[in-house]
Amino acid sequence: MSIIEVRDVKKTYPLGKVEVHAVKGVNFSIEKGDFISIAGPSGSGKSTILNMIGLIDKPSAGEVFIEGKPTSGLSDKELTRLRHEVLGFIFQSFNLIPVLNVWENIEFPLLLGKTRVGAAEKKEWIDWLIDEVGLGDWRTHKPNELSGGQRQRVAIARALVTKPGIVLADEPTANLDSSTGEQIIELMKRINRDLNTTFIFSTHDAKIVDVADHIIRLKDGLIVENRRLNGAGSPGQVRE
Amino acid sequence: MKYIIPRIALRNLSRQKKRSFLLGGAIAFGIMIVTLINGFAGAFIQNVSENFAYLMAGHVFVQGAEKTPSGKRLSVIRDDSIIFAAVRDSGLSYEFATKTSEVSASLYFEGKRIQQTLTGLDLATNLFIRERVVLRQGSWDSIGPDSIILSEKIASRLNVQPGDRITASFQTLTGQNNIADFTLAAISIDSGIIGSVMSYVNLAYINEAIGLRSGEYMALGFMLKDLKASEAFATRLYTSMAGMGIQLFERSAKEESSTTTPFQAMIRAQRKENWEGSRYSVYTIDDIVSQAKQIVVALDGASLVILLVLFAIVMIGINNTFRMVMYERIKEIGTMRAVGVQRKEIKSLFLNEALFLALGGAVAGILLALVAMSLLSLIDFGMNTPAFMIMKNGHLSFFVPPFRAVLNIVVIAALTLLAAYFPAKAAAKMEPAVALRTAK
Ligand SMILES: Nc1ncnc2c1ncn2[C@@H]1O[C@H](COP(=O)(O)OP(=O)(O)OP(=O)(O)O)[C@@H](O)[C@H]1O
Ligand SMILES: [Mg+2]
Repeated sequence: MSIIEVRDVKKTYPLGKVEVHAVKGVNFSIEKGDFISIAGPSGSGKSTILNMIGLIDKPSAGEVFIEGKPTSGLSDKELTRLRHEVLGFIFQSFNLIPVLNVWENIEFPLLLGKTRVGAAEKKEWIDWLIDEVGLGDWRTHKPNELSGGQRQRVAIARALVTKPGIVLADEPTANLDSSTGEQIIELMKRINRDLNTTFIFSTHDAKIVDVADHIIRLKDGLIVENRRLNGAGSPGQVRE
Repeated sequence: MKYIIPRIALRNLSRQKKRSFLLGGAIAFGIMIVTLINGFAGAFIQNVSENFAYLMAGHVFVQGAEKTPSGKRLSVIRDDSIIFAAVRDSGLSYEFATKTSEVSASLYFEGKRIQQTLTGLDLATNLFIRERVVLRQGSWDSIGPDSIILSEKIASRLNVQPGDRITASFQTLTGQNNIADFTLAAISIDSGIIGSVMSYVNLAYINEAIGLRSGEYMALGFMLKDLKASEAFATRLYTSMAGMGIQLFERSAKEESSTTTPFQAMIRAQRKENWEGSRYSVYTIDDIVSQAKQIVVALDGASLVILLVLFAIVMIGINNTFRMVMYERIKEIGTMRAVGVQRKEIKSLFLNEALFLALGGAVAGILLALVAMSLLSLIDFGMNTPAFMIMKNGHLSFFVPPFRAVLNIVVIAALTLLAAYFPAKAAAKMEPAVALRTAK
């Protein structure tokens, strides 16, 4: 079973009197542990597809399956719960909560929903994550005291804290200089290997695309390339 | 651990310190004004009652009444031994008992005339008057049978000195005109509440002049240790007197009407009733000042209206601010929703913030009011002001009933929540994708 399956998905936005066909019917599936890049020029539909996989936007047609289950009939409450339990998010502009410090930002998702973790176990896990993203000395700092790269590291730790199966990152390096961006991608790749977390990130930076073991390339709302490189699955497999 | 939403709400308040300070300040100001009014109204009854008690030399009163053959009602206690027996019987204690007769008289001295109520009591032995009335001229030793004690103000208006003879004209109990001469024995200091308005004469002397025999008088006042004990004292005395077979008027009137106070209604009911022989009525300072209670109700009503008006204005500010805040924090809303915060939690995030603002403002307002009250009560208005009846020894005094304070806080919290409710709901309704896109 694929961890994610996207079947005949279309997305149209109303824009005044006309309609924008942002995604025009795409099919692909993602396996557990994949490190996937969704590539393509600006306006090709990367964000739109990530939003639909991330259950923060709904397809106009088609179906997104998460862990084998269809998601189109779910209520807002159920979708929110699913996002909380199964998905992690990393944003282009970091999106930390400004009034919480580093430690609290990472802890935040654990305080939501029905998740109950023992205090000692929680502390150990968050401390491990903080060390893993290299912010051991910054626990009590507020987001506005951190650099862009540091903020994105906090965001990565926050995305991982609920131990989600899938982490979605829409252009996580776009607001960073290229060497910091590479470090962030390296970090994601390492966690992908260590924790076997599925990472799906969008980018139009060719260098970063190469780190992925599965590339989905978009153009004008359609898939033009779907290629598995090394690792899981058979290389070069294209399914459309 | 789960209190992350209120925690963020509280911290969000400190993000725009100036804005929170202004809104909280507006709430605090409104609560302060309203608390001051409530505090004034709360002490009002107490002050009026205490002051009346001193003027009337008692907290609980027994009045006698009988009808003449012609049907005229006389106010008289012919034999008070039954009343004292009833007091002893029920084991009640009091500080002073004062026997009084009152008559409204015109006082004349060398062409000057002044209308005064003369209060007759036993000047030689009454402890209450000796403790409370301070003399400017003359002394208690110079008191004779025909003595009169006037306050400085009245004495100067009549232009009299101790030793001067003053003529009084008045009506006897049966309605005949009569005159009597008094000797000014002493002049009392105006500073005491009683001093400035009361004129005292000897009970025996005035009784004789209006046609009462010795040992008879109109009303018996009991001064208690504490004003609050009045009602219990009156009730037990009444029950005890009734138990001894003494004829009594009902303590409260059955007729309820909005235009009269219970006390007025009681008097009216007593007029209408048919009875013979002697009857007694028992009443307290509370019964007399019940009219003042209507003023308190009016003040409290006015304060509530002020609260609502002030906060209608504040609410507009809060509503606008929260609408603005919602757009400022749209990215956070989108982020939180993506990470797993439910709609209703977004709503409660905003409502919590509004609630903290309201509570913070309200508590500050009450503290400010308490400070203002203690400052205001330092001012000495003296005893000569016509407002002395509503003051405590010439100072403003305040008492905020805790229930009123809580009610004010609840009202302000409810209004603030209402003002923030629609922006909060709009924030909660926003789709996460829209919120995240709008933010970039
Ligand atoms: N809410 C919207 N209303 C109308 N059109 C939209 C909306 N969101 C996206 N679009 C359009 O849909 C198309 C795909 O947009 P999308 O944001 O998915 O592209 P993208 O590949 O992420 O681009 P970029 O690299 O610039 O982020 C674009 O033409 C865009 O203008
Ligand atoms: Mg995009």
